[in-house]
Amino acid sequence: MKNILATFIMGVSLFFTSSAKAEINATKAENFVKEVTNSGIEDIINANVSQKVKDERFEKLFNSALDLDFIGQFVLGRYWRTATQTQKKDFIAVYRKLNIKTWSARFDEFKGKNFDFVGTTPSNSKNQIFVNSTVNMGEGEPAKVVWRVKQSGDKFKIVDIIIENVSLAITARNEYTAFVKNHNGDIDALIANLQEKTK
Amino acid sequence: MVALICGMTFLTPFTLKASQQQDVYEIQDPYEGFNRVMFKFNEKLDKYILIPAAEGYRAITTPYARERVRNFFSNMKEPVSAVNQILQGEFKNSGISLSRFVINSTLGLAGTHDVAGAWGLKKNQDGFDETLAKWGVPSGSYLVLPFVGPTTPRAFAGTIADGFISPVYWVTEDHEDGAYAYVAYVGAKAVVDREALLDYTRDLEKNSVDYYATMKAAYIQNKQKNYHNSSDNNTVSYDFDFEEVEYEEVIYTE
Repeated sequence: MKNILATFIMGVSLFFTSSAKAEINATKAENFVKEVTNSGIEDIINANVSQKVKDERFEKLFNSALDLDFIGQFVLGRYWRTATQTQKKDFIAVYRKLNIKTWSARFDEFKGKNFDFVGTTPSNSKNQIFVNSTVNMGEGEPAKVVWRVKQSGDKFKIVDIIIENVSLAITARNEYTAFVKNHNGDIDALIANLQEKTK
Repeated sequence: MVALICGMTFLTPFTLKASQQQDVYEIQDPYEGFNRVMFKFNEKLDKYILIPAAEGYRAITTPYARERVRNFFSNMKEPVSAVNQILQGEFKNSGISLSRFVINSTLGLAGTHDVAGAWGLKKNQDGFDETLAKWGVPSGSYLVLPFVGPTTPRAFAGTIADGFISPVYWVTEDHEDGAYAYVAYVGAKAVVDREALLDYTRDLEKNSVDYYATMKAAYIQNKQKNYHNSSDNNTVSYDFDFEEVEYEEVIYTE
């Protein structure tokens, strides 16, 4: 009887575990990232348009592909809960702006490069999955780039990018929380510092 | 070995997790005060010695030449990998590392060309840090040491042990000027490694609000890649629980 019960419990828990992980469509998630990278390479890097147009296109792509509201809340860590509504709004705005500026400036490094997609890895978080890719940057070993994708309904968004095992979200969270901690919990000091970097 | 034993005395399990009062994604850093001082010291060394040397090296070489040099240094690590893979019980990988060393040292012109890689013998390097990890030795807390940079007690012990396993050590040990040759080798490798990171660290430093914290987070996460390679665990080290984010709609307009 005990064995039957144990098997039943195991079966039920396995069902729930696998169904939780299976809620996201791996093929669609991978296709979404492929579309984003292709669009970035063809419509921005390889496009014969002015830099201003490229920057505008990049910003549009960045905002539509990444869930920066979600990531921004994560990277502020415990200080998100203590921040005022104005601080939250200002932080997300400057975080978005800084990311667009940083990535836009580096985007041309991908000229002539292609991402090779090498399958997906399940995540323990519901509705999320890791899309694995490599990109040959010309020198050295190909870089491993992993895209963490979240599905909401039939929409997909990137919520983290992991380069050579380094999660940009975890790194930013460590950086920002360390800064606020060393400034006596002053979130405005962080916002001001980030605003300086966007100029 | 002395360094290894000394290193062990510092060992406390490194983890991304922490007590309930602390941020579970914050990398624990009990020696932060000491580490930040060492970090500043290393930054000066980097700024006045290593970066100028790396920039000079870049100025006088082509990307093709630099790749050959990187391959040479990487090839010298293959015997170190082979020994460590035996210690880890990874005999097949050890055979591959040794084969890569023999093929690339000969047909690959002193390791400057990865002929073995083109034949399907892919690089899979390991050091004594990974061996200790496989043996269940905890990494210990994050440390920044002068001239060494970011490390952990286990990683530092691994670096020392790997130095003794290295063929460069065995070749230079009995020579009259062997010590100078070994130091020159280590110095040249530092410049070559630094050159490869020049653009990334410039960007990181420019955009970071706390460069020390950024480097710490990047170092620890990148290190975890190696430990996960040698385990059968299917979960990835960067799969933190995003569910804990209390998602809240932010009114964003610009």
